Amino acid sequence: MVKVRDGNLDILGQLFERYKKPLYGFFYGLNREQELSEDLVQNTFLRILKYRHLFRGEGDFRAWMFQIARNVNNDHHRGNKIKAKEELEDWQDRLGHNENRSTEMLQADEQQMLSMAMDRLPIDKREILLLSKYQEKKYQEIGVILGCSEGAVKVKVFRALQELKVIYKQLEKSY
Amino acid sequence: MEQINSMEQIKIVELLAKYNAGLADAAEIKTIEQLIESGKIELAQLQELSQLDSQISQFDAVSPSTRLDVQFYSALAEEKKQNEKRSFSLAIDWNSLFPRLALAASLLIAGFVGGYLLKSPSQDKSVVQLTQQVSELKEVMMLSMLEKESATERLKAVSLSSDMNQVSKKVTSALFKTLNGDENVNVRLAALDVLMNYAKDGEVRAELIKSISVQDSPLVQVALAELMVTLQEKKSVSELKKLLKSDKTPKEVKGKIEKSISVLI
Repeated sequence: MVKVRDGNLDILGQLFERYKKPLYGFFYGLNREQELSEDLVQNTFLRILKYRHLFRGEGDFRAWMFQIARNVNNDHHRGNKIKAKEELEDWQDRLGHNENRSTEMLQADEQQMLSMAMDRLPIDKREILLLSKYQEKKYQEIGVILGCSEGAVKVKVFRALQELKVIYKQLEKSY
Repeated sequence: MEQINSMEQIKIVELLAKYNAGLADAAEIKTIEQLIESGKIELAQLQELSQLDSQISQFDAVSPSTRLDVQFYSALAEEKKQNEKRSFSLAIDWNSLFPRLALAASLLIAGFVGGYLLKSPSQDKSVVQLTQQVSELKEVMMLSMLEKESATERLKAVSLSSDMNQVSKKVTSALFKTLNGDENVNVRLAALDVLMNYAKDGEVRAELIKSISVQDSPLVQVALAELMVTLQEKKSVSELKKLLKSDKTPKEVKGKIEKSISVLI
């Protein structure tokens, strides 16, 4: 990234190739929409391109990138307040859809069930679990992204996992 | 002191055992949170939760489509072009910053310009390469989208090819395949719209003529007949006559084709 900052834009292509998938996974995990998630990945890289001079080169690039990615996601949802209501409705539809799908497949595997449980988590808790996944459990880096201590990150992950466990068990009972 | 530490250790072990057995109450969970925050308990020690956590990590990785690649590399190529312009204008700014050293500065600028001119072919080359990569990606994306089940996706694919400055034979033959075989009339019409742009090419023209008798949709038949009139393509008359002879061709279309033939002859 230091090379990109100093004008070697070809390197950004390499960074894009390396991180497009985890970044897409992060956005998809938050929004569950293919095109939107792709657009958000694109916006993240456009911001990286625009603000490349602000990368100090000290910290980890991935942490810096996810910091930008969070802002891109928040800006998108903030800019769509009216749409947010529709999204909520979509969300409810989607939950309903998931349930129907699951009823059809009574023997839904664990992963599907877990995915449904993830969908039911509040957005901040889903986000911390996704960050933990894509930052490969490097809690200190996640602390940099969220602006809190490593210990606080672990507590957030703990709480999110606790809630996920409860939802998961409820789902297990109902199917 | 050590005794206190080992006492605390024992308490932590007990607490963990209770938690892992699913018996911890709210107050104990609060204590666990504090111990996690201070680093005395690691998340990996909480069996059920760490199991869930690793399950999340093993989730099937989702992948973005090639659309993202196309968007990104187009934006990157654009930024590179602008970057080159900027670096050139910066070189000119140097001149105004050092008016007293006019001679030195002009020599410097001459050096910069010389360097820029020497360097630009390679930079241009990389931009050309990138642009080529983008159009190749567009091609790949278009070809894969044409295979999709959804007619909307196929329409998107066709309209994507209309953005391309140059198309390869692969693309035109994919478009012809669509024109002659797609189940959806709108997709076929869209393919025809795009192919019209390449009608200057002899091969494309010949394929367009061949396509006339293959069509069963009146809309496409009429569109092709009109196109032949616009192109003044006399070779198409025999194909158009085939449609006239066919019982499947509707009356209205036959009327339209007769008019077209009379214009062409």
